[in-house]
Amino acid sequence: MNNSFARLIDGMCATLRGEVLTRLDDEFARGQVFGVINLLNTFKVRADWSTGFLAQQVQAQCEAFDGIVRRIEGEKLPAAPPLLQRAPPQPVSAATLEAMRDDGNRAIGAMLGWLAAERAQLSETLAADIERELRRCMRSEIDIEMKNSPRPLFAEMSSGSEG
Amino acid sequence: MATATNTIVDDATLATRVAAYLEGQVGHRVRVGTLTRFAVGFSWLTYAVPVGGLEGRDDEQELILRLGPDYGLFAPYSAMPQVLAMRSLEDSTVPVPRAYWASDDASIFGAPFLFCEKVSGAAVVPWVAAGTPGLEESYRRKLAEQFIDALGALHRVPWRERPIAEIAGGITVDNAARLNVEFWERQIERWAMRPYPMVEWAVRWLKDHCPVAPRVAIVHGDYRTGNFLETDGRITAILDWELVHLGDPHEDLGWASLPMYMGGSKLISRLAEPDWFYERYGQQAGFTVSMESVRYYRAFSLLKLAATHMAAARCFEEGRFNDMRMPAMGSQIATCLRQLEKTIEAT
Repeated sequence: MNNSFARLIDGMCATLRGEVLTRLDDEFARGQVFGVINLLNTFKVRADWSTGFLAQQVQAQCEAFDGIVRRIEGEKLPAAPPLLQRAPPQPVSAATLEAMRDDGNRAIGAMLGWLAAERAQLSETLAADIERELRRCMRSEIDIEMKNSPRPLFAEMSSGSEG
Repeated sequence: MATATNTIVDDATLATRVAAYLEGQVGHRVRVGTLTRFAVGFSWLTYAVPVGGLEGRDDEQELILRLGPDYGLFAPYSAMPQVLAMRSLEDSTVPVPRAYWASDDASIFGAPFLFCEKVSGAAVVPWVAAGTPGLEESYRRKLAEQFIDALGALHRVPWRERPIAEIAGGITVDNAARLNVEFWERQIERWAMRPYPMVEWAVRWLKDHCPVAPRVAIVHGDYRTGNFLETDGRITAILDWELVHLGDPHEDLGWASLPMYMGGSKLISRLAEPDWFYERYGQQAGFTVSMESVRYYRAFSLLKLAATHMAAARCFEEGRFNDMRMPAMGSQIATCLRQLEKTIEAT
């Protein structure tokens, strides 16, 4: 793909609004189109091209450069352009990060349970400090999520027309 | 992905089955026209059903048919709570469509169903685009008065003498809040697709701060702008009774006053100034509103709203429903949880 991800999303939304909705009379179907636009807007702020195939392309370059360097090593040759020497990328998948976040959230939940059960055994200050840390972390997760969510189109989805 | 279990037939087949069912009920031939499905609602399917000959050879009328599909948001459904509620309100001042036939037997239409009267009117949507002007002042005030008075009347209904007493269980003024929190905690366990420590924290807080209800009343469960019809400033029907239950009347106040339903204004459900709302409601309901309980139930309502969004996300993820509005709802869980935390902090 040569177009930017965000521009493609904008184009799809504009087409749905300008070319599809203007020719669609059914209220329920119009609500569904607004649902699709809502999701596309979510993709725009949360998603990008998959890194998997880019990593494969860079990996192929690395292997080629390594092969050339090994092949010309010790040869008397005219000065060759420098080749990038780098380690192949190690991308972390979204699924891996998601699992890490969920494990972390389970640990926070367990810690909240422990704090509620054992609070009497802890000094007030210590209990308050632990709770503050846990809540700060929970709030951060939610704030990050909200910053990456577009305004929902509930009015449009429920009525089938622009709010 | 779970297998979709869509048992709802196409509209034409449904119309044929509707005709056969109605004929069985009234004992003579009826004519059923083309069904129209409404975009409203995220859970039960709602159809307008034109029927001829229901009460005589020449009469023409429209009924509303609601179906609770087994792939829906809160499935499995039962039509009974809402039917019992609507029948319990027939001689009250709460404007409610008349409930006709209902059954949980899925062999009839593929899902539990309810036929009720089609009431004329339009819904005022709670969600509006930024910059949308508020409702015209006298129109707003007129709707607000009826909105408040109908809620007060609902909460005054002597339900122990009505059909809805069937679902009372062991509810009391002392355990109403606790039972409710535990119910929604179980729903969240069913629906959440990942751990939400904020929910665990909030549930613990709600259980530790349960208020005693001023009385046990019929609680609509989704009382807000968008769930009533109006014509020329007159509320003609309160709709969407699928979350009806018995509980603390403050619950409906907490739900109606959610920021999500203010449409960018400072008015409860885009209609009423908060102080006036609580004062007038208290006069109508016959008890003094506890603002502490309102805040408690606002927090509870945010938990409930987050739970419904979790249900929407799961429903879509499992392939039970391809309604594109579901994942959009699912993207709003964080907003509910942030408001929930703020509400608890402010108590």
